[in-house]
Amino acid sequence: MKIAMLGWEYPPFKAGGLATHCYGLTHSLADRDDVHVDFFMPKTRHTSKSDKKNLRVIEVGETEVFPYDRPDSKELSGQFFEAVDKYNKLVVAMVKKLVKTGGKYDLIHAHDWLTMKAAAVLKEDLGIPMVVTVHSTEYDRSGWLYPNQWFIDIEKKGMEKADKIIAVSHFTKRVITEKYGIPSEKVAVVHNAVYPIPEGEKQDIVLFLGRLTIQKGAEFFLRAAKKVAEYEPNTRFVVAGTGDMLPRLISQALDLGISDRVIFTGRLTDEEVKHIYGISSVYVMPSVSEPFGITALEAISAGTPTIASKTAGFSEVFNHCLRVDFWDTDEIANKVISLLRYPPLRKTLVQHGKHEIKLFTWDRVAEKTIDVYRGVL
Amino acid sequence: MTSACIYFEVHQPMRLNRFSVFNIGKNNDPLSTYFNHDLNKNIFEKVARKCYLPTNNLLLDLINKYDGEFRVSFSLTGTFIEYCQQYLPDVIESFIELFKTGAVDMIEETYYHSLASLYDELDEFEEQVKMHHQIINELFNYKPRVFRNTEAIYDNRVAKKIADMGYKGIITEGTEKILGWRSPNYLYKPVNTDLKILLRNYTLSDDVGFRFSARMWPGYPLTAEKYANWIAHCEGDIVNLFMDYETFGEHHWTETGIFDFLKHFPGEVLKHEHLDFVTVSEAVEKYEPVGEIDVPWAISWADADRDVSTWLGNDMQIACFNELKEIGRKLREKKDPVLLHTWRMLQTSDHLYYVSTKGLSDGDVHAYFSPYDTPYEGFINYMNILQDLKQKINQ
Repeated sequence: MKIAMLGWEYPPFKAGGLATHCYGLTHSLADRDDVHVDFFMPKTRHTSKSDKKNLRVIEVGETEVFPYDRPDSKELSGQFFEAVDKYNKLVVAMVKKLVKTGGKYDLIHAHDWLTMKAAAVLKEDLGIPMVVTVHSTEYDRSGWLYPNQWFIDIEKKGMEKADKIIAVSHFTKRVITEKYGIPSEKVAVVHNAVYPIPEGEKQDIVLFLGRLTIQKGAEFFLRAAKKVAEYEPNTRFVVAGTGDMLPRLISQALDLGISDRVIFTGRLTDEEVKHIYGISSVYVMPSVSEPFGITALEAISAGTPTIASKTAGFSEVFNHCLRVDFWDTDEIANKVISLLRYPPLRKTLVQHGKHEIKLFTWDRVAEKTIDVYRGVL
Repeated sequence: MTSACIYFEVHQPMRLNRFSVFNIGKNNDPLSTYFNHDLNKNIFEKVARKCYLPTNNLLLDLINKYDGEFRVSFSLTGTFIEYCQQYLPDVIESFIELFKTGAVDMIEETYYHSLASLYDELDEFEEQVKMHHQIINELFNYKPRVFRNTEAIYDNRVAKKIADMGYKGIITEGTEKILGWRSPNYLYKPVNTDLKILLRNYTLSDDVGFRFSARMWPGYPLTAEKYANWIAHCEGDIVNLFMDYETFGEHHWTETGIFDFLKHFPGEVLKHEHLDFVTVSEAVEKYEPVGEIDVPWAISWADADRDVSTWLGNDMQIACFNELKEIGRKLREKKDPVLLHTWRMLQTSDHLYYVSTKGLSDGDVHAYFSPYDTPYEGFINYMNILQDLKQKINQ
């Protein structure tokens, strides 16, 4: 089975779960004898390489655009859309070129709206089936406040064109069927997985880690931090990541009078991310909308008990975490303080959580993805 | 002759209010802030309507119909009786009416359905048994002779204490852990004292209690006739069928046919000439022990493990249990009846049961009975309340 997989980001070029997923999926697929994957992505400052026989990473064109940025100015957004459009065209040309030299593909697999257009063109021109994985929709990324119709149209067309859609959770499947009008039988759910992260020397740190966009709800983290800070004088709060909300969050921390307790790290390297997961005592994921939430599983694997939004996709299938309504900052604070004060709570969550994490392997994701491939071939 | 001994556990815990860390140390009345009055009232009224009242009525009819030949025993916890007194006195009246038939026996237990038998000293345990003794005596003018500990928790130490307190019999689980190859259908005695042990026949009890409405079960559908035949084929002196009273109408809804089953059950049993019904007191009078039982480590009838891991199986549960014990030590110095009663209400084993993180198959049962989304929520809430109580004692 020969797959042309159209991606956008891939480690070390990475803004979110999309990169983590593509890496885990392609590596586990390439471990099998019966699958060959060509993974297409934009050329970046970092070079992505494959160390697997059955996996080629093919860089096309050039971009530094992050797929989740929500450009404010017209000029910026113009460049952004242009870059995406250009990449899609280049990918089509490259795939076709490789077909001529290296033989045909059995299937096109695209991830999110970014490469759906290219996938649709290739499906038509090459006459092969198309699979799309939806990691997030425009509704998630906008926090359900002002979704942009331009993205929605691309997503809807791509989903309609696809032979089969993979959603990363039942939550996302519901969005796909209800908001995009896709028939339920066309959507398979494959939950994400995680590569475990080692546990570090724990400190009194409460962690937020994610893109600082409206979707991820960092403002609720800060409001809860304010309450925790009053009760737990030795606790520090770390906001790791970057995004368009960063300036607003910094002034929010000032307004709340907790700027001396909160550290904004900006974008972290992979190594730094692992380190901060390892040394934190509590991880909070107050996402307004969270299709899956790989970061929660990463934190749990690093021995950091996790408080997550009730609707987060991963928690459909994961038991050993604490759940909250993202807006209920009193309850978030109650749970943070309880975790800090009651070591047996932490210990039990970590012990069971690490055990449950073992079920979430990329090999399982690859297996379920192949089932989807077989269904359309 | 083989006797069928039917006994029902009747218990409701006082469920807790939502209590966050921010509530700790506020100077509030503990009873009204810890316990969720509305939720408890609603649940109690619902269960009374679905189970207690209709089942009591049916049992009364059956006792009258079979002229006292159909006999049952009850263990009503102190918290259950308090519920009746607070919310629906009719329920306790209907138990009194049943008792007056002479075909109904009452079983002793700890007033608060607690784990006091697992404390380092047994003084609190003894106190709670005496409290139960007193309330049963007040309501029924009767002194129970057989004891059943919370969820049938049993070990040699409890047996010794109960014998010393003058009881004739004790009830626990007929598990292979203590029986080995031996049958639960006889009386036994503890190795260390003089007392008769009644052992629950868990297979036949759970056929009704757990499996009655399970369509996947080969025994489905269970008719009274089929069930009476199974009992008739048992070898031994006595078949002990012990289950939650909520089996009728609550665990198995009316639509499952559970009430029809109960209605036809006495008649089908009495069709067999070698079968009769006895109460627990009659059982210990009528039969003699056939062997000894040695239980150094506590057993119970809970979950698949049949031990106390249901309540003390993880670090969170043990932390809460240790807090409870520590609060008890502090209360001894401080003579405060309200705080003492509050502490005892918090000892009800259900609060620890909700904190259990046991594996999926058992976890399903736990989730069904729990007012919390997860055991972690149960822990946070319960622990916050214990911390508040501790502060109140220190004041």
